Amino acid sequence: MNWSDKISVPGEVMSRLVGEETVILDLVSGTYYGLDPVGARIWDLLVDGRTLGEVCACMLEEFEVSREEIERDVLALISNLREKKLIAVS
Amino acid sequence: MESFCLKSARPQLELGTRPFYEIRMPEGDLWSQHFETESGYLVRYPHLADFEIASDGRSVTCLPVPGMTEESPNHIYLNQVLPLAQSVQGKLVLHASAVEIGDRAVAFAGWSGWGKSTLAADFSVNGFRFLTDDGLVLEPCAGRYRVLPSHPSIRLWKDSEEALVPAGAATALPLGEGSKVRFLAGNGIEFCDAPRELHRVYFLGDAIATGISIRRMGAAEALIACTMHSIVLNIEKKPLLASYFDEMARMADQPIFYHLDYPRRYESLASVRQAIVGHATEPDTAHELE
Repeated sequence: MNWSDKISVPGEVMSRLVGEETVILDLVSGTYYGLDPVGARIWDLLVDGRTLGEVCACMLEEFEVSREEIERDVLALISNLREKKLIAVS
Repeated sequence: MESFCLKSARPQLELGTRPFYEIRMPEGDLWSQHFETESGYLVRYPHLADFEIASDGRSVTCLPVPGMTEESPNHIYLNQVLPLAQSVQGKLVLHASAVEIGDRAVAFAGWSGWGKSTLAADFSVNGFRFLTDDGLVLEPCAGRYRVLPSHPSIRLWKDSEEALVPAGAATALPLGEGSKVRFLAGNGIEFCDAPRELHRVYFLGDAIATGISIRRMGAAEALIACTMHSIVLNIEKKPLLASYFDEMARMADQPIFYHLDYPRRYESLASVRQAIVGHATEPDTAHELE
């Protein structure tokens, strides 16, 4: 994975923002996932077409965290979403 | 509005296609099969009737098998098929019962066997009319939602019948829905036949609580719970499902969703009922009961 990579969401996956959280529905497996406000913001930026590097830069501006922490969180979330086939990385 | 047409009886024909969905009773017997057809859907209740649902969900035709009583097709239509047809129209339909507290509706959603009908029956024999014992249909109304009444009957297992049903209650003809008996409203089982504004939805827990526990659910948790307990005829129609998901997300944003758990003991039902009534009628119910 590179910082210039972007993600795409398969057609069978739908997501909705409710309150400050995001719920992701996978029609293939019939399962649901919830993202907390930080995860929801990362998801929002990713599906908006930002590269992984741009997502980290935005998060650094919006949250009081270190670059190291946010890069670790973004990579962990992407790895998790990818494992569940909720996104593809290109 | 939906139109319902009852046709002459005919034997159930082999359809030559595979159902995209099947429902089995807890005992394992086949209860219904859902097929896609050129004009919409066909829902088959083996040895009872076929129901053809138009692709827009607005008209339903029943083809009963020979020997069915006149009452049974209407009964299956109102209780089973109409919620499916309404889901095709985009209305929200949940596996939930509902009762009237004050002049508003309070719903109990949960898995089969977790106490939805028992709560509806307990409330209905204690002065709170029930609106439905399952297949809760919701309609948007002035920024909120209202509950539409369904068939005026409640299906109960034998133990709930013995604990709750007044002597002399009328029963519907058995339809092969498993071991439950369907009790008709009247004779002490009170039914509300008018829509009511949805005020609370309690998702029933798995009875691990040692006392009565009520906890407010967040919007994301509520959306997941609503989705899991939804009745949708065909989840493969993505545009329909997307619009359904949108509507549920709007509803989940309202502060009306709670998790409710309590020990499943008939002798405790009165205190569960009192706790729910108290919780649902307080002006500010943001507190939690533990």
